[in-house]
Amino acid sequence: MKTKTKDIKIYCDITRCVGCKSCEIACAIEHSKSKNIFAAVKETPLPKRRVETQNIGSKIISLHCQHCEDAPCVKACMSGALSKDEKTRATIHDKEKCVGCWMCVMVCPFGAIIRDAESHIAVKCDLCPDRDDPSTGSGLRYACVAACPTDALFAGTKEEFEKNLSKKKGNSKH
Amino acid sequence: MNYVIIGGSAAGVTAAETIRKNDKKAVITLISDETFPLYSRCLLTYLIAGSIDESKLCFRDKDFYKENNIKTYLGKKAVSIDRKKKSVSLEGGTKVPYDKLLIATGATPKTENIPGVNKKRVFTIRRIDDARAIIKILDNVNKAAVLGGGLIGLRDAYALRQKNKEVTVVVKSQQVLSQMVDADAARIIATLLEKNGIKIMTGAAAKEILGKDTAEGILTDGGKRLDCQLVIIGKGVNPNTQLASAAAIKVEEGIVVDEFLKTSDKDIFAAGDVAQTYDVARDAKRINALWPSAVEQGQIAGLNMLGKNVSYEGSLSMNSVDFFGLASISMGVTKPKEEGYEIISRIRKNEYKKIVLKENRIVGMVLVGDVGSAGVISILIRNKIDVSSIKGKLLDERFDYAKIMPLVKKFKDKFRQEEYQDTIMTF
Amino acid sequence: MEKHEERSYDPASQKMIKKAIDEDIKIVWDRYDAQKPQCGFGELGICCRICNMGPCRIDPFGEGTEEGVCGASKDTIVARNLVRMIASGAAAHSDHGRDIAHTLLMAAKGEAHDYHLKATDKLARTARIYGIDTKGKLTEKIGEELGEKCLSEFGQQHGELRLIGLAPKKRQEIWRKLGIVPRGIDREIVEIMHRTHMGVDNDYKNIINHGMRAALGDGWGGSMIATELSDILFGAPEPIRATVNLGVLKEDYVNIVVHGHEPTLSDVVTEAVKDPELLSLAKKYGAKGINLAGMCCTANEILMRHGIPSAGNFLQQELAILTGAVELMMVDVQCIMPALSSAANCFHTKLVTTSPKCKFPGVEHIELKEEKALEIAKNIIRLGVENYKKRVKERVSIPKEIKGLVAGFTTENVFRILGGKYRFTVRPLNDAIISGRLRGAAGVVGCCNPNIRHDWAHVSMVKELLKNDVLVVQTGCSAIACAKEGLLTPESAFEYAGAGLREVCEAVGIPPVLHVGSCVDNSRILLILSAVVAEGGLGEDISDLPVAGAAPEWMSEKAISIGFYFVASGVYTIFGTPHPVLGSPNVTNYITNELENIVGGKFAFEEDPIKAAHMMIKHIDLKRKALKLGPAIHQHKKTPALKT
Repeated sequence: MKTKTKDIKIYCDITRCVGCKSCEIACAIEHSKSKNIFAAVKETPLPKRRVETQNIGSKIISLHCQHCEDAPCVKACMSGALSKDEKTRATIHDKEKCVGCWMCVMVCPFGAIIRDAESHIAVKCDLCPDRDDPSTGSGLRYACVAACPTDALFAGTKEEFEKNLSKKKGNSKH
Repeated sequence: MNYVIIGGSAAGVTAAETIRKNDKKAVITLISDETFPLYSRCLLTYLIAGSIDESKLCFRDKDFYKENNIKTYLGKKAVSIDRKKKSVSLEGGTKVPYDKLLIATGATPKTENIPGVNKKRVFTIRRIDDARAIIKILDNVNKAAVLGGGLIGLRDAYALRQKNKEVTVVVKSQQVLSQMVDADAARIIATLLEKNGIKIMTGAAAKEILGKDTAEGILTDGGKRLDCQLVIIGKGVNPNTQLASAAAIKVEEGIVVDEFLKTSDKDIFAAGDVAQTYDVARDAKRINALWPSAVEQGQIAGLNMLGKNVSYEGSLSMNSVDFFGLASISMGVTKPKEEGYEIISRIRKNEYKKIVLKENRIVGMVLVGDVGSAGVISILIRNKIDVSSIKGKLLDERFDYAKIMPLVKKFKDKFRQEEYQDTIMTF
Repeated sequence: MEKHEERSYDPASQKMIKKAIDEDIKIVWDRYDAQKPQCGFGELGICCRICNMGPCRIDPFGEGTEEGVCGASKDTIVARNLVRMIASGAAAHSDHGRDIAHTLLMAAKGEAHDYHLKATDKLARTARIYGIDTKGKLTEKIGEELGEKCLSEFGQQHGELRLIGLAPKKRQEIWRKLGIVPRGIDREIVEIMHRTHMGVDNDYKNIINHGMRAALGDGWGGSMIATELSDILFGAPEPIRATVNLGVLKEDYVNIVVHGHEPTLSDVVTEAVKDPELLSLAKKYGAKGINLAGMCCTANEILMRHGIPSAGNFLQQELAILTGAVELMMVDVQCIMPALSSAANCFHTKLVTTSPKCKFPGVEHIELKEEKALEIAKNIIRLGVENYKKRVKERVSIPKEIKGLVAGFTTENVFRILGGKYRFTVRPLNDAIISGRLRGAAGVVGCCNPNIRHDWAHVSMVKELLKNDVLVVQTGCSAIACAKEGLLTPESAFEYAGAGLREVCEAVGIPPVLHVGSCVDNSRILLILSAVVAEGGLGEDISDLPVAGAAPEWMSEKAISIGFYFVASGVYTIFGTPHPVLGSPNVTNYITNELENIVGGKFAFEEDPIKAAHMMIKHIDLKRKALKLGPAIHQHKKTPALKT
């Protein structure tokens, strides 16, 4: 299997997520025309977030597109709008090609593809293409990760995430 | 190795792509009886509706064949397979030898066995030529009749309505989408269609297509005459098994394949709308003529042609439609006829949900309106998960991935892919 | 631009910010950065924490829920949150007013010997407004009656606040018709808390209208009482020269900084620092003397009345400590950052709290008791003097920046300055506006906020207004920002004022920017506006006047209350960053649009100070037109909008 580019994966530490939805707001703003919250809420159409905080009981997860290696959405896409980026292995969506058939919605096991009723196309995590600024560092590459006030969201490899988890555990006083 | 693929749509192209990804040196030849390369059949109604143009029809780059070094015979029909000599004959006599062969010949639309079906302006929509022919005459059409109230018929009607045609859908049963949904859900969809100007005539069938050489109307079995300048038959498809049958490859409903998508000939594989594969929801062999299944099967067939021994987990019948902003998704067994199924459903204004279970495992679902949880449910069907612990939540508006995380954790062996495990690392 | 330059426009502050960066001391800007990005629900006002069925929030992008658990819409949630900010702001100002009234009463009764009723003229005048018969009464008796009357207005349940009667008649009628004349100062604040409790008022317009009522109870009640009684108790300000910025701290002196809002203790401190015993103690420790400086609005109070220098505004409170030269910072109430104790811990600075309402864990508390205020003040100063020993010379770095200013303008002395000693009148002001020499007037007030470059919006906006012949009145941190730029001097008219404004300033000898005091003293602006209306020729109501207001760097809930009492009084008022209301298009439209037809004033939100200045100018021009006045005599080209 191909290895993913270092930081295309966003992990959520469920033990730290408090469900504040900051990631949702930051995501919507990042995908607005103005990139400013006060202007974004006045835009038509309203910008769409691509991340969702979901819960099971008291446990909360900020859930994104997992950029599956063998992505069901890519296989289901009949218009060729969804594909795997050969280099980064991200699952990318070409909105020009999307016709809004919702085949991807039908097969995404994470429910991470959202229907945009207004523009009638699918929207999903695009890994913040407008933020592609190496100077911001990997964690801040993504609006949701940068917005997370509890450091629940983490961008990087699985190993890095695991390392980060044990580091946090070590830091905690309990 | 010399790989030959018959068929240039979802299954064929995916197989070719898969072979190339894994074997840079393989000789790959793709045969298609169509000249327009790499277009998505599913988009033809969008083309007719005018929501896309031909440049958007392709599901791969136009240079796909060149870039992947795939030799093509386009516009050439494969007429026979010589299994002994291991070669495929094309019309015109060309012989294409193979080491491994994939039959991905797809399907042909069903037609009506009534007088007048051969008249001009009577169409089925399957190939680009059908769509082009319809578009060509569309300016001269005010009224159209669509025969068939299933998904195909409704999609055709929806496309014509978007071009402001007066469309009447003639439906044999008492409701639209009778294969897929209950009367209640059908009513939600039909009401919306009618509100948007599509006439629906249920409990009626066309007895004859009227007109001299060209269709001018239809006569229903109830004796009603419907004037129209265009008739579209939208009634499902039959698999193109002739090539296989003639070569004495085992065919039932479709070409019979094993779990590796291999036919009764060890060097010949089949995938897509022509192949009869294992259906995970029904636990039986069946043709699921669907784009996602065709892609999956093309991928698996490609891998097995390479000798990788990857077994196919099976297909799941599913469909998604969106009419006038109302999305509907159905999957698996939606209207069980036998005993032993449990059904939970709920109907609201413009919203319908139905989950079909068997022994606490979901085997089918219909969602109309709020379709956000379709994907999560699909994985529960595919993985045959015992959902007794979350049964009460299945119809919830916020039935989302988080709700199945305990199951993902519990059935780690079934949610094998890395991505599932990533989500529950801290759960 | 380097980080320290991006953070503040003020060179003195930049130096201290640089020092903080170099020494890795975390200050307000670092904490602001650490908070970013800030909660969008909070910014838009669509988070409700009012009951325990919640917290609830509305998805501003229309995908999630549209109502709280109780069914509250975004309009209800936004309106409730907003008026709760008014309640808090009005409470802060009014409680300040209450404390002053209380001290006045004690002084009048002879229970607080360190206080005297200094402005007897004003005492008599104010007493008459309250219907007190002053004839033949001793000052103390009048003071006692006035103190009681004022105090009773906080808990008053019926009728109207007395000072409402100072507003133009037409204005009073608008309020009466709308039912928003405040009955009692506290009552309206309490009623906000009641109405916004779970399951009470959910008509956003009704909620906001009541918010205006409470705000009016601040502007024409609590704040105005604070201002008027402070003038009586501590002396009515007169124009006075002073200095401003961190450069007022002196290297060889014991530096005492008083910070907060209420003058009650700090006014006595101005006496205490002259105490010979303390001075000789300071000399004993090698200091040349005791240097008293103010911070924030406590600074403005003693600047207005005693010319005590101001070390800076809100965002400079930590920076003053960072000079390493502050022996003691005495704080009372409001806008005192909890971070001060850790900032003080980085240096030798002793922090002392003095109000029972404002304590810090681990910080020495020496409570003000009016009965022995001077003694307490001296005790506090003594701590500072003693602390001089602990100063680490190597860590001292006082920015050299210091600017002169003239402060001390009030409703009363503006009349005299404009009209002359024997002809108290604002006539020349009205005439200047009518002739078009002055385009109009603007109040530029409010806080500082790390969300916008410190001082920059205040200074840019005021300069733009001056250039366009708009006379500017200022209070609070905004006044200090402009003072640091040298705008509060008569000479600045030559550099910054348009030709018409310059003529007026030259003729009368005033700065083009008039400092009228602390943030409770915004009530002075209400009275000046009422006086201009009463003078005649510029309409019958405040909303007819060619004036506008702005709070370009606002931060506190008090700013919201001030904004609402200005808007409810008929003034077009621009805030820099928006109120937390944009989550509700209805509430936003109500306060930025519909209110104009109801109360004559409305809000606008504009972060670019130059754009905002031109919105004010445009409004002023519209009002001139409505008054059938010609355009301003001198027209200027528009300055292009700035980008931060």
